[in-house]
This record gives sequence, structure tokens and C-alpha cells, in this order.
Amino acid sequence: MTENKPANPLEMIAYVLSQQIEDGEIVYIGTGLPMVAGILARKTHAPNITLVYESGAQNPMTGAMPWSVGGPATWRKSPMILEMSYSFGQMYNGYVDKAFLGYAQIDMYGNVNTHMIGGDFHNYKHRLTGSGGNNDLSSLARHLILVGLQNPQKFTKNIDFITSVGFLTGGDSRAKAGLVGGGPQAVITSAGVYDFEPETKRMRIKSLHPGVTPELAQLATGFELLKPAGEIPVTPVPTKEILEILRKEVDPGGVFITMPS
Amino acid sequence: MGKFAYDKEVLANLRIDESETHLLDRLIDYESARAAHENKNHAAVDKRISLQEAIAEYVKPGDIFTDTGFAYVRTPIVAYLEIMRQDIRGLQVIGSPATNQSYMINFGTVTHTHWSYCGAEMRGTDRNMSRNVKEGRTKVLSEWSHGTMAQGFKAAQLGLPGVYSKQLLGSDLLKYNPFVKVVDNPMKTEKDPCVFIPALYPDVTIIHVHQADMYGNCRIYGPIINDAALAAAAKKVIITAEEIVPASAMRNDNKNVVIPFQYVDAVVEMPYGALFGSMPGLYYWPRRFWEKMLRYWAYKEGAVQEWYELAVKGCKDQFDLIDKMLGGSKWMAYAKRLTKAEEYENEDIGVDFSYKEWTMDDPNPDDLSK
Repeated sequence: MTENKPANPLEMIAYVLSQQIEDGEIVYIGTGLPMVAGILARKTHAPNITLVYESGAQNPMTGAMPWSVGGPATWRKSPMILEMSYSFGQMYNGYVDKAFLGYAQIDMYGNVNTHMIGGDFHNYKHRLTGSGGNNDLSSLARHLILVGLQNPQKFTKNIDFITSVGFLTGGDSRAKAGLVGGGPQAVITSAGVYDFEPETKRMRIKSLHPGVTPELAQLATGFELLKPAGEIPVTPVPTKEILEILRKEVDPGGVFITMPS
Repeated sequence: MGKFAYDKEVLANLRIDESETHLLDRLIDYESARAAHENKNHAAVDKRISLQEAIAEYVKPGDIFTDTGFAYVRTPIVAYLEIMRQDIRGLQVIGSPATNQSYMINFGTVTHTHWSYCGAEMRGTDRNMSRNVKEGRTKVLSEWSHGTMAQGFKAAQLGLPGVYSKQLLGSDLLKYNPFVKVVDNPMKTEKDPCVFIPALYPDVTIIHVHQADMYGNCRIYGPIINDAALAAAAKKVIITAEEIVPASAMRNDNKNVVIPFQYVDAVVEMPYGALFGSMPGLYYWPRRFWEKMLRYWAYKEGAVQEWYELAVKGCKDQFDLIDKMLGGSKWMAYAKRLTKAEEYENEDIGVDFSYKEWTMDDPNPDDLSK
């Protein structure tokens, strides 16, 4: 029986993220919504993508939603599993097309913090996980896409720690620092899709989800969002069929797509 | 003048005093690592001892100690609990990831951290670790990413003083890592900044494998993560194995044999040794247990003491863990079925992966309490 409820914000993020993937690509997946998006893409428009994980697991047969990036679903019937160092090595060497990352805080240049919130290194409100693969992916990825929720605490003028470099201080500062890779290409949130203006490298609205005005998006942001020239596109929503696949096949347990109550 | 040129600003950022820099030296001192390896018995001898003996003999207070596997995948957690039972203290922990230090810090087992990642993914933020750092029960000695730490271990395995990396550039991690330095690629005519990562040599590593022979040749099924590199790098290597097999088994079929005997100091037969984590091919995670860990034992201030009473004091080994905390042989069968179905070594049609998430109203940690 089909549930006819429209996509909730998490489902919308998962769908929009999956739409960033083109068929045939090699996609680097982390825990949470990126995993959902990768598996959804494979079950819908991109059946020939290869998923790779930082543990070294890669190219699994499609199966259950992984409970962890180290879990068996990430290496299910894989012909070969790499070691962790080689997994990042192949990204450096040009064998990964898209990488997805989350953030605790993000600034206007797509720099990301997953270290701590509120304060500094020794005196903070919350210490978070630390980099994990976040800095590696931000440093090396050909096309990096950031994904998460949006509010002024997360989208903030000054992040409390630069775990991962997006465009550093804008302009050509990323390249000057010696980083390879394209930097962040998009940020996908519950409000819309953002890209980065090519000259200044400042975050810019690319499309907004249905019902979200630029004023609302700005209210949810702690720095000035750039606007594109002309009318702001509305992000396409998932079809009923795709939502059904998402809910029934990709994450039937609702582990990642259930809104917290 | 000290042996290594640590950046003074980085030391100041980390609040590492000059008198403390000796804590850093051993990790990157390839000369002492080489000497330690040279001085081992290189013969193929029967290295089997008990877990208690291996920990007492090879894990010393203040050692630079590794968290191996992948947080809760093929990680020798049962051995970590034994370290806590023997009350060995002052360890520096390093690992990518290094999740299990969280509960080891509260009891003085770990006092220093080389940080790459500490957490349990979607289970929730580790509040216990956050408090541990803030309240000074562990001191962060360096900040890393997964990849750069893995590259440091790999450099050691490759027998190199260090490697050049393109990670960390421009980030704040450079300000909090005394071991890495920005250097120029010597071959490019234009400026090409790279990060020099020295080879990393932990004092002691415990690696949990599927099969080992008595000499220390090891077979691993599933992701190796950093363990092949750690076995080569660490000065002392303890192997814990689900099974001990004859040497002929390794010679007749050397598929997935990834650690050679000469690196190994001790071999411990330790079935179910990855509990309360998972072991590829053998047992799944107790998922509710990890949820209870992150949502209660590590979340509520002081609750980790309750976990300690249950898991460290209340259990003497993995069999107690299984019987007292995890649901006994029924749970082991369920855990085996889940992992093998997810791996598609067993039929997965008809296998139910759903479970009731842990809540305070339902405090039993085992997965069978649906």
C-alpha cells in the first residue's frame, strides 16, 4: 500500500543528493544520508555506480542499508576490499568522481567543522568526532558535495574549527594552499541547494525547495547568501515511485529518513 | 637539543610543555623502532600464550597503544577490557578510528590521545569523550584525519622515514599536530605545498584476526583497515585470533593471509574476541548495546561507572559478556545469521534486520529483547 505523504526534509535531502550522482560514477560514501542517497541512486537512475567507503570496502552488491560504514553491506560480495590508506589514495589518483560529506558547522566558503562547537580547542561546549575522513575527502575530492541541516548555528560566519577546507578564504586561496581537487561543488540542506560563485567562491543559492523563499533561506543562515542572477529555480521533488523505493527498499527501517520527534 | 624539531607554536596550541615532548618522540623515532624489531626473536616458534599473559607481558604503562579494526568491526575489545582489568595505566592511544578510548579514559587506562576520530557514527555524539577531554582526563597530543594517520602507519610498513601528503593543507589540524609539517614538493618548479607525515611506530598493537597459526601468520576476512601496516610498524604485536589453525592451512591456502609471522610477539586464541563489536563472517554487532552505550552509559554523566561494573568487573571474559549482557547462545546464533546474510554468505531473503531501538524505558541492551 502506498503512503502518499510528501517527502519529509530528510527524504528530500536524500533524494536531491542522489540526483547529484550520474550513472557509471564511482561515489565515495560516508555514514548517514550519503549512504541513503548512494543506495537510492543505484536503485533508481544510476544502477551502474560503484560505492566506495573509507574502510577500504568498495563495490558491494546492493543489499540492506548498512548500519555502519564498516559493516558487511559495504563489502557484500566485493571482488576486492582495499586498505584504508589505499582507499584515500585512489581518490588522490583520480579514481573517485563524487564524494559526500556532512558537517556540524559550515561557513560561506564551504569550510567545515566536525571538531567542536562553542569555544576553542581547550574550552568548548561540545567536542565532536574529529575529522575522520572529512578532511581527506575535502582535500582530495574531484567533486565534493556537502549535506546536512541548515540553521544559523550551523551555517555560521566563523566556524569554531577548520576541520576541512572548502575554499579557505575565497578567491584562489584554496589552490594557493596547495590543495588538489575541486573543492565543494554543492551544499544540500533541508532548505535548498547551494553552489559557490566562481570568482569569490562564496556560497550562493542554486535552487530552493518548494515553499522556501530566499528570505527564509537567509534567515536560516548566519552569513550573507549570494543569489543567482534571475529567478531562483525550485528544487524538483521526488516522484511517488522514487519515494516508495526510498521508504520501502532503501531505508525501510527509517534509520536515517525518520524525522526526530 | 631534542631529537625532533616540533613546531613551538603547535606545542603551545596543544599546551604541550617542553618537558613533555619526550611523550611524542617514540611515535616517530624510526631508529628505536628498527632496533626493537631487530632485537625480537625472528625464529618461527610457538608463540601461543593466554590473554592475561600477553597483556601483562606486552602492554606496559605509558605505552603508545593502538585501537585497531574499525571502532567496532574486528576490534579486540575483549583484550581492551583485560587491559582495564589488569589496571594498566597511562596509555597513549592512536588509531583511525579510535573510538574505544572513550571508556578507557574514565578509569585511567588511557591518558593521552592522538585524535583522528572518536565516535560511533549515527549512534550519537560521544558526550563521555567530550567530558573526558574538557575535564583533562586525557590530553590531546595530535590531531589527524583518518587518511593521514593511515598514511603514517603505511609509511612505517613501507620502510620510509615519511611520506608527502596532499591532505590537511589549510586546515586547523596543522595547528594541532606536532608531527606533520608543510614542505615543498622538491621536484615541482612551481611551489607545490605538501604535508610531510613521518612514519608512525606505536609501542604495542593488538590485532584481532580470523585465523592465526602458532607462529603468527594471520588470515583476515573482510576489511583490513590499517592492521597490516600496524603489524609491521608496532614494536610489540599481539595477535588475538578467533581460531588457531595448523601452519599447513596457511601454506595450502594463503588467500587473505596478510600478516607474516615474523612481526608477531604473541598469539592468543580468543574466540568472540571482537565483542561487543562485530566480526565479519562470524557475528554482528549487538546494536542495542551500542545505542545504550552512546545514549546512556556515555551520555549521562557518571553512567560509565555502571558500564564498568557490568562489563569489566562483572564479566571476566567474553563468555561472561555473552551470557550476562548479550543473550547467550541464542544471541550468538542470531548475530552469526545477520552478518552472514548481510554478507550474502547466507540467504538473506526472509532474514529480518529490524530491531527495536534502545530506549530508557527498555534498558536491556541485548538485541533479542524485541
